[in-house]
Amino acid sequence: MTSQETGTRTVEEFRARARAWLAENAPRRSGDGDSEDVGSSAGLDAQRAFQARLYDAGFVGITWPAEYGGQGLTNAEQIAFSEEARHYSLPVGAFIIGLGMPGPTILECGSEEQKKRYLPPMLRGEEIWCQLFSEPGAGSDVASLQASAVRDGDTWVLNGQKVWTSGAQYSEYGAVLARTDPTQPKHRGISMFIVDMRAPGVTVRPLRVATGSAPFNEVFFDNVRLGPDALIGAENKGWEAAVVMLRNERVAIGTLTASRGSPLGSESLTELAGRLGRLDDPAVRRRLAELHARERAVALFARLLREEAMSGRMPGARGSVAKLAGAELGAFAAEVAADVLGDAIAGYDGTAHRGTADYGPELRAVVTAIVAVPGGAIAGGTNEIQRNIIGERVLGLAKDPGVDRATPFNQLRVGTQKRQGAS
Amino acid sequence: MSLILSADEQALRDSVRRFVADRSPLPAVRELIAAGKPYDPAVWKQLTAQLGVAGLSIPEEYGGAGAGHAAMAVALQELGAGLVPSPLLASAVLAAGALLRLDDEAARQDLLPGIAGGELVATLAITGTGDGPDGRVRATGTGAQATLTGGLAPVLSGAQADVLLVPADAGDGIGVYLVDAAAPGLTKTALTTADPTRALARIGLQDTPARLLAGDGAGALSAAADLANLALAAEQCGGMAACLAMTTEYAKLRVAFGQPIGAFQGVKHRLADMETAWELAQATLRAAARSADEDPASFSTDASVARVMVSVPYFTAAADTIHLHGGIGFTWEHDAHLYYKNALSGKVLLGGPGDQLDRLAATLAGQPALAAQPATGAGARRA
Repeated sequence: MTSQETGTRTVEEFRARARAWLAENAPRRSGDGDSEDVGSSAGLDAQRAFQARLYDAGFVGITWPAEYGGQGLTNAEQIAFSEEARHYSLPVGAFIIGLGMPGPTILECGSEEQKKRYLPPMLRGEEIWCQLFSEPGAGSDVASLQASAVRDGDTWVLNGQKVWTSGAQYSEYGAVLARTDPTQPKHRGISMFIVDMRAPGVTVRPLRVATGSAPFNEVFFDNVRLGPDALIGAENKGWEAAVVMLRNERVAIGTLTASRGSPLGSESLTELAGRLGRLDDPAVRRRLAELHARERAVALFARLLREEAMSGRMPGARGSVAKLAGAELGAFAAEVAADVLGDAIAGYDGTAHRGTADYGPELRAVVTAIVAVPGGAIAGGTNEIQRNIIGERVLGLAKDPGVDRATPFNQLRVGTQKRQGAS
Repeated sequence: MSLILSADEQALRDSVRRFVADRSPLPAVRELIAAGKPYDPAVWKQLTAQLGVAGLSIPEEYGGAGAGHAAMAVALQELGAGLVPSPLLASAVLAAGALLRLDDEAARQDLLPGIAGGELVATLAITGTGDGPDGRVRATGTGAQATLTGGLAPVLSGAQADVLLVPADAGDGIGVYLVDAAAPGLTKTALTTADPTRALARIGLQDTPARLLAGDGAGALSAAADLANLALAAEQCGGMAACLAMTTEYAKLRVAFGQPIGAFQGVKHRLADMETAWELAQATLRAAARSADEDPASFSTDASVARVMVSVPYFTAAADTIHLHGGIGFTWEHDAHLYYKNALSGKVLLGGPGDQLDRLAATLAGQPALAAQPATGAGARRA
């Protein structure tokens, strides 16, 4: 028996164990796909309890080293678990960010003390993390961020504003990027810190988005004191750590496959269209068939990336292909939904548009999903940023000229900052 | 069922790729085109006798390699990347696929070994998705004493075929008939083609003797339509990969405004879209190739999805290839227009985008493909 065969056998054993545990312990997907209140304070205790059980069963931190609380296994086991877990709705939404972004970054760039102190409670669900990169003036060009951390002895003082922070309202810790040397060019004067979200001077405000819900926050830092052990990696080397984290974010977003019950999925749109009597129109049937084809293509590409990762070829920048394809699929689905359902989504009530049944809640879900679609082309790096990454790092094209790369940050015009002397 | 190519498939891909580079590079393809030849018999002989490409998806008992449809897709992708003209699709995919789905053992034993070896060229005379209602060819008489009358166009490799499998209506449903290309009353006229690497013909039949092949004619045509989608998706995925490689290379070499043009977002983003479309196309192709061999229940849907996700994006990629090369890409000497014409023809052959979506919608709804066609009679779709 070759070592590869032995590996396959071990992975299949692990998969069988995961399948059995999930069947016993995890709630099945209900299909209503409403994730807005994932991690809401009401559900947090239940989420922490579930995460602890998942951890005790050996299904958290599957690829992380055992010395920091992980399972010390390979990507193959991680992928096997994810595939099994897709059929379930695991109440672990509050931990996705920490385990997907700050966690791996601390693992790669953090000190020994930080790994020992922060990773085990993160895995067990005892401490929740958020990520604080974007600012009102620094989105696609996140390296032009203006939040500052000024050295004071062996501590730092943090000031500034962050935005689009998921989970800030219930997080214990955050990974924050701040400028530590404004005399350096923008990429070279940034550091990454661990910030205690309960520390004096931290203010969290909900950020309401186009759909009317508030899944993100704005976070304000007002003379927040950061201790000597708060720095992740070296001072002024925060951009390198951020690149590690953003790469993890794109892979995480891009390979999320839409759940079957998504209101903009071809299956539920076809079903709804049928009940509204729209399937008699051949043009409608064509649109829905094309949506099915595109959905299937995005799901198959995600599967191809997973299979390649299992055989040792990591997705790297091709995660951006998945992210871009997913965002474009969302936009296409919104177009199809509007075409297919027609004026039934412009105005609806409890008595339904054409039939006798009550389609109000379903139409509401479709409209909300359509309104949410533009966010998908922005979150985790806009489509244009993904195209830059695909062009430069997948195809190897020349880098963007980047006229600001060599200029000291304090001489740059950035974001919404007013030019000095301008009124 | 893995979407990743197996070691055997990678070896096959590499050997076909080497063959194309050595024996049928684009300058040689251009010579064929200039000489007005549908394909190079010497290249075809080596492709079939040495590489055994025509027998890849024909079982060993009929003289093939029994390697399966996924292996054939790997070969077609490389041949498509090199725009190698050949009767492979017509003969080894469509005609062989229909024979294997029908139930005429004598015809299989007569024809398949020759098709697998490349000595015999056959074609399946279908147009559109091939499994819609027809009526253009009428059959009279039964069994081996039938005669056919009617006309069909465009038929793949119709002027090169030694034998033709012709769907015809005897009044009680569609049957597939075997016709010798030299039979009386049969005329074959090569068509002027948009794609000079894709030979097409008009077939005329006037009281032409034919033999009804035993088996489920409609089922065979439906199976052939699925195989056509897989095969065209494979060829076109190859063409798309060639466009992507050629344009990426040019964007690195060509300098304008003091920069390689690939540095500019107007160029870079279009190439990123081409790469994204190619990755999605490739993933759907691999899934369809796998289910052809391993999951027959999903094959029709998977093949339709692949065709939808390849045919139109390939045409876009070929158009972008010309555009991103600028003026040089629009010259006769540049290869970009060969891919553009190939993509144009491949997009509409054997069921264009609208037909494919109709067929996919019907399959998804659990209906036989025929139900997708408008119930306005056989002639309506040609009007």
